[in-house]
Amino acid sequence: MRMDSIAEAKTGMGSIAVNRLLVGIDVGGTFTDFVVYDAGVGVCDSFKLLSTPGDPSQSVLQGLEKIQSEHPGCEIWVVHGTTVATNALLERKGAPTALVTTAGFRDLLQIGRQNRPALYDLFVKPTSPLVERSLCFEAEERVDQHGEALLALDPVHAANLAERVAKSGAQSVAVCLLFSFVNPHHERLIAAELRKRGLSVSLSSEILPEFREYERASTTAVNAYVTPRLDVYLGRLDQAVKDKGTARNVRIMQSNGGTMRLERARRHGVQCILSGPAGGVVGAQFAAHLAAEARGDRDPLRLITFDMGGTSTDVALIDGEPRVTTESLVGGFPIRIPVIDIHTIGAGGGSIARADQGGALRVGPESAGADPGPACYGRARGKTFATVTDANLVLGRILAQEFLGGAMPLDVEKAKAAIAGVGKSLGMDTEQAALGIVEVVNAHMERALRIISVERGYDPAAFTLLSFGGAGGLHAVDLARQMGIQRVLAPPLASTLSALGMLAADVVRDASLTVMRPGDTPLEELSRLLEPLVDQATGELVEDGVAPEQIIHLPQADLRYKGQSYELTVPLSSALLEHFHQAHHRAYGYHRHDAEIEIVNLRLRAIAKTSKPRIRQSKATNQTIKSLAAATHLVRFTSGSASTPVFRWSDLAPGDELQGPALVVRPDTTLLLSDRDRAGIDVYGNVIVEVAPHQGRV
Amino acid sequence: MPPTPYSDPIRLEVFKHLFSAVAEEMGVVLRKTSYSPNIKERRDFSCAVFDERGLMVAQAAHIPVHLGSMPLSVEAAIQAYPRLLPGDVVLLNDPYLGGTHLPDITLVSPVYLPGEEHIPAAYIASRAHHADVGGSFPGSMGIATELYQEGIVIPPVRLIRQGQVDEDLFRLLLANVRTPQERAGDIWAQIAANRIGEQRMQSLVQRYGLADVHGYMRALLEYTERLTRRLLQELPDGSYTFCDFLDDDGVNDRPVRICARVTINGDEAIVDFSGSDAQVAGSLNAVYAITVSAVYYVFRCLIGLDAPNNAGCLAPIRVIAPEGSVVNARKPSPVSGGNVETSQRIVDVLLGALAQAAPGRVPAASQGTMNNITIGGWDERRGAPFTYYETIAGGIGASPVADGASGLHSHMTNTLNTPAEAMEYAYPLRVLRLELRQGSGGKGKYRGGEGIRRDIQVLTPARANLISERRKGQPYGLSGGGPGASGENYLIRGEQHIRLPGKGEVMLQAGDILSIRTPGGGGFGIPEDEMES
Repeated sequence: MRMDSIAEAKTGMGSIAVNRLLVGIDVGGTFTDFVVYDAGVGVCDSFKLLSTPGDPSQSVLQGLEKIQSEHPGCEIWVVHGTTVATNALLERKGAPTALVTTAGFRDLLQIGRQNRPALYDLFVKPTSPLVERSLCFEAEERVDQHGEALLALDPVHAANLAERVAKSGAQSVAVCLLFSFVNPHHERLIAAELRKRGLSVSLSSEILPEFREYERASTTAVNAYVTPRLDVYLGRLDQAVKDKGTARNVRIMQSNGGTMRLERARRHGVQCILSGPAGGVVGAQFAAHLAAEARGDRDPLRLITFDMGGTSTDVALIDGEPRVTTESLVGGFPIRIPVIDIHTIGAGGGSIARADQGGALRVGPESAGADPGPACYGRARGKTFATVTDANLVLGRILAQEFLGGAMPLDVEKAKAAIAGVGKSLGMDTEQAALGIVEVVNAHMERALRIISVERGYDPAAFTLLSFGGAGGLHAVDLARQMGIQRVLAPPLASTLSALGMLAADVVRDASLTVMRPGDTPLEELSRLLEPLVDQATGELVEDGVAPEQIIHLPQADLRYKGQSYELTVPLSSALLEHFHQAHHRAYGYHRHDAEIEIVNLRLRAIAKTSKPRIRQSKATNQTIKSLAAATHLVRFTSGSASTPVFRWSDLAPGDELQGPALVVRPDTTLLLSDRDRAGIDVYGNVIVEVAPHQGRV
Repeated sequence: MPPTPYSDPIRLEVFKHLFSAVAEEMGVVLRKTSYSPNIKERRDFSCAVFDERGLMVAQAAHIPVHLGSMPLSVEAAIQAYPRLLPGDVVLLNDPYLGGTHLPDITLVSPVYLPGEEHIPAAYIASRAHHADVGGSFPGSMGIATELYQEGIVIPPVRLIRQGQVDEDLFRLLLANVRTPQERAGDIWAQIAANRIGEQRMQSLVQRYGLADVHGYMRALLEYTERLTRRLLQELPDGSYTFCDFLDDDGVNDRPVRICARVTINGDEAIVDFSGSDAQVAGSLNAVYAITVSAVYYVFRCLIGLDAPNNAGCLAPIRVIAPEGSVVNARKPSPVSGGNVETSQRIVDVLLGALAQAAPGRVPAASQGTMNNITIGGWDERRGAPFTYYETIAGGIGASPVADGASGLHSHMTNTLNTPAEAMEYAYPLRVLRLELRQGSGGKGKYRGGEGIRRDIQVLTPARANLISERRKGQPYGLSGGGPGASGENYLIRGEQHIRLPGKGEVMLQAGDILSIRTPGGGGFGIPEDEMES
């Protein structure tokens, strides 16, 4: 589907008179990124503004006004990735929230699964749940696993309960009753009473109609907790763009990699918890797709995305489509709706290195952050921290004068002093210590990459590693080599990839339902059970402005061998069971043809494809490598030091070929090639590295 | 001084991650493919990597009670089969030959390099708590007076020989348990976990070379040993003694005494359990492996959160546990509760002793029990027998700096609860209540955590077995803090509330409710209101 057709569906306009700009906006902690796309011209602008954390809509509106003034008369359509929901959760600044449970389960969120987070911590600290105990209420009701009411909810009791909740000071309410996904009647009765009293209500039977009460309650409570904040923010933004006429339509990026209209996001905060990172993965997918097309590669994408920033690193796997998980944990809270499976570790360029008491070199998880930052930032007033960035600088892998395009020169001497301090306590010289810090942080990265590939049954050798994020380029090629990955892709739009991803994202709705049926249930019956999900998702997409015939339905089912507790998701088809055996074999190395199978959940993903932005291609120049070399720099590799040519990314043109060792620098990142690595530039300015294999053992 | 070949601090850190990643990944496979609620929902299992001598190099952060006992399984397997061949898998559960209690089934595999057929390069093992291994009680967790009543006893035997499953042995095993389909599924899950471990270790050796892998296995053991020695050096020299009691052994109604004297001398320590009571008639006996695990756990906690879990931790510590005592029982003493209950009290006693040496580093007593409940009977809906086992969390002891957490598992276990909805789908059981027991935490400057109340209704006639502790005694407070409340067990039958003992069997009628209220944690420091008066 094209974006145009959404407009037609919504406005009934037969043709489009004004020029339309699509704008992707990703609000991050430091910067707000904008990518501007004109269907007639292609991507025509991308820029960054400083974020305004107090009111994130400020930077968004500033950017939109800038675009409007530069493109007078254009109609602006926005896709927006927001961290408002994420921050409300992580910083515990959500709305005062109440919980209503079945009688006897008031402490459900507090007790959780009764396990402590760290096994060997004698001082286990009490966790504070999202809802305090005085705001947890019980409803006298009970429904069994067949949906039969063992104790019917008395409407008078429901009204009294709602009255007590309303008087408690809560603004938002999560309702999670046992087996409400089989029979939502009681939850709906309570919701009606609560809404009468002006409360914002999140129902577990709507947010996540799946079994396992704690995880369902947690997901519902997160929604209740963050939604009012997101609602206020989006409401204000919507009003502002309407008042000023800056944007005609605003869509919001969801954690599942698709978008939804702003009005819906105002009620579904939990869907936006990973809004920004999801944009990054979709952007990476889009960039890799273009690169594959440019070289005539029609195979399904096999991509591992690697986003290494200052304090953390996100990795994800795309096998055709991004892998989706229903087991995410954000800020310690289980969130069981489908989200792009992004694995995050607390290691990045700012991770602090130190010698521990047993004489091992440790890197992270503590980070020097942006302030004081790595020693080489020269900002530390007291103690300086030796970080991964300092190690890279000491090794000559970062050019001190080129950092942020020269806007913030780095202090090599301070970095050396800090690394020397770590080396001293380990009895090694500064260079050895710096190499060691890189090796240890790479070990952390490799572990993360293995978790999302090898441990999920994928052989990384068949994948391309796509590197983005400021610190990624220095580590990506070496990591690929360690993993047996043969190709690294470094896109030129890396720093605004997430905003670009928002423009490339489809309109997506996910729906699910626990059905708990035997494996031999006829497909017709499963299809019948799926119907309400199809109706729901279709209805919502139509509400979002999509024409019904443009909707693609992807029905799936979660299966397990009867008696297991973890399900695998496979496409719903006549070969359902066979697909499950195969998936089980792939994931765990065996399957059991003789064992009974259970169909636990049905899932439906409804997608309306959007037309993808076109990116301008550059013309090949076929310059020789020599003439490109801006300078050389002495870089320390594991094998020894080498005089290494330095290239400016902006000087590279399609058809150029590079031979390692080499440094390719850009204001926001540096790509490091070792001896024998080769790289080419494609028509989109992507640097594509053919990674030299290991020679012998590491 | 030039570094010795395997003392590179960088490689040390890298290998630490590599070995623990192998153990963690084995755990993921086991959890996601197993059938017993104990394994899949409650994560009562452990996976570990051992060097070529059988010393534990890495254990995934699963269940502490397996820490010190996993190595003994590997040792027993090697003793039984000094020449394990490629593709062999040894299975065992004999508590007196490498096991802990009978439901814990351990699978040990040698890791051979491709083409090598003489000496294993390493070993790996997985252990999991199976829902039933036969014996007198459904779920195999009840108060017995002989090991043989507690289930089928399996010495180290080769379940798989050079890749071929011994079907005869498998059938014999399955014929002795109540839920054979489920057992088969769990054992297959363990086999799959071991295979993954084997493959990952093989590729590690291929990548780094055998010399480096062995070199850094040793270096990691030495590294942990250094951490422990450093800790011991920090503690003041001297002898510290503490005694506490189990309520009873479930057969005789008298308390069972456990004493520990911890002697610290420079960078070494002796932990002496002399003075503990003789082995008991009921199932509260701990085998030596359990006692070692408890010692291991306590010192492992004190050396720091992210130290590797390996045998080096115990190297500078000598454990003396008199044979024939409740902390080192002789065959065929029954042991099912030793693993789950006695182990907790051993930790309480050790922490009590160490609180004298390191007052700022030790919390008040946590609930000191796992509140084991086993329910078994006939499931009308399925026309098959069922057994269900769970443990219930309680209060955590307050620390010198903060209140104790409420409703969490402590010390030797960290198993999850089973969701009420999962339970009701799978068993003729219904959870009626899961809540914190307000006021059960001990008073103090910092309060102990609250215990839990959990009410489970049976929908069919059933037998329930309880093994719970701190029903008479209380978790102690420290530095003037009050004790946590004792736990209580009730049978609710209509309007009647019948108090049940801490341990024993109850015959349940359809509709009966077991109401378990778990102990609170001890408080720390004198409460502020008492300070004034």
